[in-house]
Amino acid sequence: MKPLRIALTKGRLEENALSLFEKVGCDCTAARNKGRKLILPVDGGRFEVVLAKAADVITYVEYGVCDLGIVGKDTILEKGGNFFEVMDLGFGKCKFALAGPVGTDFFGGYSAKTVASKYPHVAGNYFESKAMDVKIIKIEGSVELAPLLGLSDAIVDIVETGTTLKENGLEVIEPICGISARLIVNPASMKLRKMEIESLTEKMEHVCKS
Amino acid sequence: MKKNNKTTPEGTKDFLFEECLTKRSIEKTVSGVFASRGFNEVITPGFEFYDVFDPDLSGIKQESMYKMTDKSGRIVVMRPDLTLPIARLTATRLQNLPKPIRLYYTQPVYRNCPGLSGRRDETTQAGAELLGAGGIRADLEMISTAVAALGGCLPGFRLELGHAGIFRALADRLPVSDDVREDIRVYIETKNYAALDALLNGLEKSETVSAIRKLPHLFGGEDVFEKAAFLGGDSELSPMLNYLHKIYGLISELGFPGRLMVDLGLVQRNSYYTNIVFSAYVEGFGDAVLFGGRYDSLLAYFGSPMPAIGFAVNIDDISEILIRRKMAPGVRPADVLVHGADGYEVNALDHAGSLAKKGLKCENSVFAGEDEAVAYAKACGIKRVDIVGKKIKTVVCCQ
Repeated sequence: MKPLRIALTKGRLEENALSLFEKVGCDCTAARNKGRKLILPVDGGRFEVVLAKAADVITYVEYGVCDLGIVGKDTILEKGGNFFEVMDLGFGKCKFALAGPVGTDFFGGYSAKTVASKYPHVAGNYFESKAMDVKIIKIEGSVELAPLLGLSDAIVDIVETGTTLKENGLEVIEPICGISARLIVNPASMKLRKMEIESLTEKMEHVCKS
Repeated sequence: MKKNNKTTPEGTKDFLFEECLTKRSIEKTVSGVFASRGFNEVITPGFEFYDVFDPDLSGIKQESMYKMTDKSGRIVVMRPDLTLPIARLTATRLQNLPKPIRLYYTQPVYRNCPGLSGRRDETTQAGAELLGAGGIRADLEMISTAVAALGGCLPGFRLELGHAGIFRALADRLPVSDDVREDIRVYIETKNYAALDALLNGLEKSETVSAIRKLPHLFGGEDVFEKAAFLGGDSELSPMLNYLHKIYGLISELGFPGRLMVDLGLVQRNSYYTNIVFSAYVEGFGDAVLFGGRYDSLLAYFGSPMPAIGFAVNIDDISEILIRRKMAPGVRPADVLVHGADGYEVNALDHAGSLAKKGLKCENSVFAGEDEAVAYAKACGIKRVDIVGKKIKTVVCCQ
């Protein structure tokens, strides 16, 4: 049988994901010393690991070229997709929040507001749930700049400790929802390779709970 | 001003040569199976009124339909689904035919998929519907037709069975709003165990809650029925489970080149499925290639209540799988190129005609000179050129 292929998100979640595999008993040396290789054998070739940007993890799993993926709930909420979201892995915890310059009365008055975000869909859904008419501008990174430059009244962004916000004179106006790393599975793979996948997920669940 | 006259819109494509041949050959195989089992072909319009595909009924989001207006300003859509038009057609024009009414189709459907995702906006489905009959024989007939249709084009597939009534019965018992019920349905559909557990933890403990919690885990082989035995005492659910188990047993006896699976957590968005649902998967392809089920309440929406069951096969997906596996038919060059010398053009046409009658694939040369014709034959892989003059001279070409 072809090895199960798992797409991991590069960066913030990569270290925790590899640790999790090691705790489950998989040898991840190749994945840790990857060099320029892109498809890495794990546990002596029983699994294959691929490192990709968050949105791409979802794309690969949706199309079935990767059977499983580890990706943040933030990307899942922003991009959506057709897959099974079988586990909350518990790491990479943070939250989405509406933030703005300290002392902003964001909800006051009837003038149209402008909000900058790296996650325009999440922002859009949040304001739709409040029936608020808000102009949303997509910003690719360092979203805190937008209100400081006067581009927007506030931002919708991921907040961990709140230090970045504080350093830039911003504060949380309202928290939106919690985020963490999730395990996603391609539906056809789940049906066709149920035993292998469940054996892996059961071990992962055991490690996550302890 | 830039003109968009050189490429096709995103989500569409031209089918050329091998791809076209493969697609048509699969269409022919599948519709051949339908025709051989007494289904009659129908063709429905490419665009229909929006109301036929009511999102609350079909589960198809408004955003994913290609919409236009008709001459009177009414909203009209390029059909995103084929079961609904057939239901409309049957309920309004065929309702008095002797039942069951057996129809099949091979037509494209249109969905406005998210951009830059590589999805097909135009995709051909071939499917069959059996209308006006319920019961185990009708269900068996359709599932076995599905198995025969797929078996004719794909070497190995897995068939999955489920029952839409199980979730519906359990969900209806929960003291929650329709919105929450829909959330639960989505969490089960996406096997989002964490979110489902979190939501159910907020509800008062009950047998229903604990059954729903287990539902998305209940998939696999025949062992699922043992694991689902806890539902056995329930007067509403027990007959559904027993029925599903019975069908499972009967289909296993069919013996097809593939394997049988069960998933009690199949909770399709199409709220029109009421009882048995089934789908098929192929190794190496990330989506189902076939989907169907029983939809006993649908025709009532169109005015003629009657039970019905049907399924559709994704022709373009199967085509892609076969080409990828190098199992697709190749395009064969012509057997003979017939070239008429000056003054013998009509004789050449006659000669080509008589060769064609013998079953040879013949091309007529459009070139003025013999040399050009032979060069063309060599370039196209045509192995024989017949030069028609006072006599017929045959030239054999090798690559």
